[in-house]
Parts: sequence; C-alpha cells; structure tokens
Amino acid sequence: MTAFLTFHWGWLTGAALLGLAMGWISVVQHGEGLSKKVARIVALVVVVIVGVAVARVVPGRPGYWLDLGLVMFAAYLIGCAIGSALRDRLVARQMAAGRIPVRTDPPGPAA
Amino acid sequence: MRGLFRWSRKWWPGLIPLAVLWGLAAWYETVPMEQNLAAATAAALKNDVLDKTRIDVAGRDVTFSADAFSEEGRRSAVTSVEGVPGVRLVNDRTRLVPEAKPYVWTAQRDVVRVTLSGSTPLPAIKARLADAAKAALNGVEVVDHTGFARGAPSRFDAAVLLLIEQVARLKEGKVTLSDKAVSLSGMARELGGREAIWASLRNLPEGYSVAANDIAAPPYVFQANKDPVGGTLTLSGYVPDNKVHAALVAAAERKFFGEKVTDNLKASIGAPKGFAEMVTRALGALSRLSTGSLEVADREVKLSGDALFDGAANQIRQSLAKDLPEGWKAKTEISVKPAAAPVDASVCQRLFSEVLGQGRIRFESGSATINADSAGLLDRLAEIALRCPAAGIEIIGHTDGDGDAAANQALSEARAKAVADYLVKAGLPADRFKTSGQGSSVPVADNSTEEGKAKNRRIDFLVR
Repeated sequence: MTAFLTFHWGWLTGAALLGLAMGWISVVQHGEGLSKKVARIVALVVVVIVGVAVARVVPGRPGYWLDLGLVMFAAYLIGCAIGSALRDRLVARQMAAGRIPVRTDPPGPAA
Repeated sequence: MRGLFRWSRKWWPGLIPLAVLWGLAAWYETVPMEQNLAAATAAALKNDVLDKTRIDVAGRDVTFSADAFSEEGRRSAVTSVEGVPGVRLVNDRTRLVPEAKPYVWTAQRDVVRVTLSGSTPLPAIKARLADAAKAALNGVEVVDHTGFARGAPSRFDAAVLLLIEQVARLKEGKVTLSDKAVSLSGMARELGGREAIWASLRNLPEGYSVAANDIAAPPYVFQANKDPVGGTLTLSGYVPDNKVHAALVAAAERKFFGEKVTDNLKASIGAPKGFAEMVTRALGALSRLSTGSLEVADREVKLSGDALFDGAANQIRQSLAKDLPEGWKAKTEISVKPAAAPVDASVCQRLFSEVLGQGRIRFESGSATINADSAGLLDRLAEIALRCPAAGIEIIGHTDGDGDAAANQALSEARAKAVADYLVKAGLPADRFKTSGQGSSVPVADNSTEEGKAKNRRIDFLVR
C-alpha cells in the first residue's frame, strides 16, 4: 500500500485539498445536505464497494481504478474532516469575539 | 463529533470534481504504473534462473509465466514476484521445464557450420557449451538450437565439453549423446583423427560409454612409382613413424638396385594394421616390374605396370594375392612388356655384367636360399637370358674367404644352382644352364675388409 500511496501522492494530495475546500465551505453552507436516509444508503454503498476492493474481486485495470478511486475518496474525506474542523474552530473563535452577530447556519435537528 | 456528521452531509458536492480527478488520475497513471510494476517485477526476478519468462501487468495484477528448472526455483520466483511492492495479485502461470527421456544432445558438423541441438539442463550450461564450441571450432559458424529440459545425466556438461573437442576433429559428421551413450559418425579431418577421437573418448566421465563410433578417416595412402626412363623410384604418402620410414626406404634401396630412391614420405599416425609388412611385400612386387606404380590406400593395395616376361607377371600376381594380412585386399593390373629384340651372345654377356655390376644377388646368411629382395634383379637376368635364346650360360657361385674351404665350395655350388633353378622356374630351358661353384678361390676384392668380402660373395654369369 505504501508503494501505491507514494506513486499516486500528487493525485491524493489533490483529492485531500479538494476535500479541505469542501469541508471548509460545508461549515458555513446553508441547507440541510443529504437526508439521513440517503446518507445511510451512501454509507452502505461505500462499505460494499470497500468490501469488494478488499476482497480483490475485480481483476486487472478495473480493480486498480476501484482501488485508486477509494483511496482518493478516503483522502477527500480526510480533507473534508480537517477542513470542517478548522473552519468550525475559526467560526467559534469569531463568535466568541462577537464579530459575527448572527449565525448563518440555522441550527438543525439534533442528530 | 456531532458537527462532523452534520457537516459531512454537505460534503457530497465535492464528489463531482473528485470523480473528475479520479478519471484524470486513471487516465494518466494506469500505463506508467503498469510499466513501473513490470520493471520492478523484472528486477525482482534478476537472480532467479528461468526460461521463457513473461510478465504481463494489468492494473496492479501481474500475470507471470515462466519455465523453471526446479520446483524450488519455481516457488522462489513466484514469491519474488509476490513480494514486489505495489503488486496486488499474481496470476501464477509458471511451470517446470519438461523432462527429457532419453536426454539427447547432438552436434552436427557440415562444411560451413556446426549445429548444436537437443537439450541442455540450464541456461548457464547452454551458454558455456556454446562458448566452448565457438572456441574449439575456431572460425566455424556455430548455430545453437539447443533447448532446455530436465533430467540430464550427471556430469553432462563435462561429457559434452569432451564431445565438442571431438567435433573439432571432424570434417563432417554427427556426435550424439543420448543419456550416457555416445554415438559418432562422419569423417575425421586429418589422418589419425579417428585414433585421436578414440583416445579422447577414454576420458569420458564415469558411466558414459561409446555406443557407436563410425568415424572414418581420410585414406592412409602410400605411393611408389617406378620410372625406368629417369631411373627413379619415388615414394610418397604416409608412414606410421620414423622407424618404419627408415625400414621402408632401406628395403626400397635393396630391392631397386638400378633406381635412385626419391623419398617424399611423411610420418602420420592412422596406419592400418600390417602396413609395413604389406608395403614391403608390395615394393618387392613393384621392383620386379619394368615400369609401374603402387598405391596403398588404407587396406587396399593396387599394383599396376609391366612385368618383364610372362612368367614374372603370373608370379607377381600370385605372390601379392597370397597370404594377405586380415582385412587387406590386393588388386593387380599387370601386363607384360613387349619382348626386347634378340641379341647375340656377346651382347648378352655385356648386359649380364652391367646388371650384376649394379646389384648383386642376395642370399640368406650361410644358406643357398635367395633373398626376396633379389627378385627384381633375377627378373632382369632372366629377361636378358631370354634375348639370347641360343646361348648357353654358366652360372658360377663365389663366396668370401671366411670359413671352411669345403663348406664354401659347397655353398657356392648350391647358390649357383639356386639361381639356375630360379631362372628355369621363370620359364627358361634348364639345358641352357650349367652351374658351378668356386668357393673362395677366385676373389675379386680384398677378403680382409667387410666391403671386400661383400664383393667376393657373388654370382657370375658366363655366356658361352
């Protein structure tokens, strides 16, 4: 796996940066995003796909592309998580300083 | 954490550019990555001994086909490929090199090239054998068509190296090693090549044997040509060694009393058995011809020429064909020289004196048995006697001064009679000859020297 990550580091960095940007935006973005139901389905699909990749069922080039896609997806998710966390911390600090009077993101239902 | 779940539901729009990025990555990286894996796989297999290695990479999966020389080597090679970083799956298409039974190796030599075929056990041995062949066959093209097979007999390479040396000794032919049995056929390059090959094959590794050796050698040729016009006997061709060489030249000098012997003989091994004995006999037969040539090729003697008279022609044919050593053949093409014009008695006397001045009739030591070396001389005397049919001839024997006078007298008489008998057997009428002996009473030279004694031991012809 190390060799795989080393070989594709540029693309993974790209995916991570994309995730960082998306995570950064998502904290202050309006709207609800995916519904819980859809999110569950998506999570299930991802689990199945990961299972397929780990079981090495898909042969040859498609198998490689699947691995590549999943690893890039993982990098994207990590980027998103970091981006969101950073933005959240920044927003929290600004709110504490009173510079942002109104929170743009309406409080959602307790998740 | 709750925030993370909440935010994550809004991360999906990024999946669209991510998909694009994924597509681009797949587009640009697939082939380079496959090449990278193929190179890494080839490098990992560098120390594995394999044949027909083929590496096909699709994505991260390697299809590895190769012929291995042992089960252990095959497993080790597959493990090496599995250990290459980045490889996901290995499709193992390896197999063992087939086993050959019988295990055959062949070298075929024709005029311009040597073709190696059959099986060798390992690439290193194959290369070594091909190099050895190139070195041994200096300048001759070597075509290596050998393949790989398991099951080579022990010390295979040592045996084949020895056989390659033998191929170098061939002009054309084939050398085959089948398991541990060697078969050879063809023609040796040089005289003695066959013997050299036999000698070398004794050094085959233990357990190896010669199943068939049908190597022929160029004919072992000896030639002698008697030219009465130039008064020469030319010897050419081969003799086995210096001892036989000296013996044959000495025999020629004894038998050909009137000719100068030109010696162009060369020493070479490879003479057939009984060579010296047969050549000496054939030289004796040639010495009785007026003109003629002798060719001995391997075990075939060919004598052609003109005998001095009818009786001699028959005797020569019979004597050469009689009691041949085993495997020898003799072929004679003997005609009779046209009879010379008759002459009167005084000319006959002069001719006798001339011939007896050139050579003398030899007898076995202390006996009246004529030495075979004198046959040519006696034929000449008979021919002269035939030219003066009306003349009576007195044959007088003499001895040297050694020994008892009575014994010398008896010996001289017996020797004179032996000569007369020879001439009668040659076809001359017995009543033309009278024989007598003079013992040592009429010396022509000093009896105190060996040379003088030799001159005194003589037969004189007196025409009446």
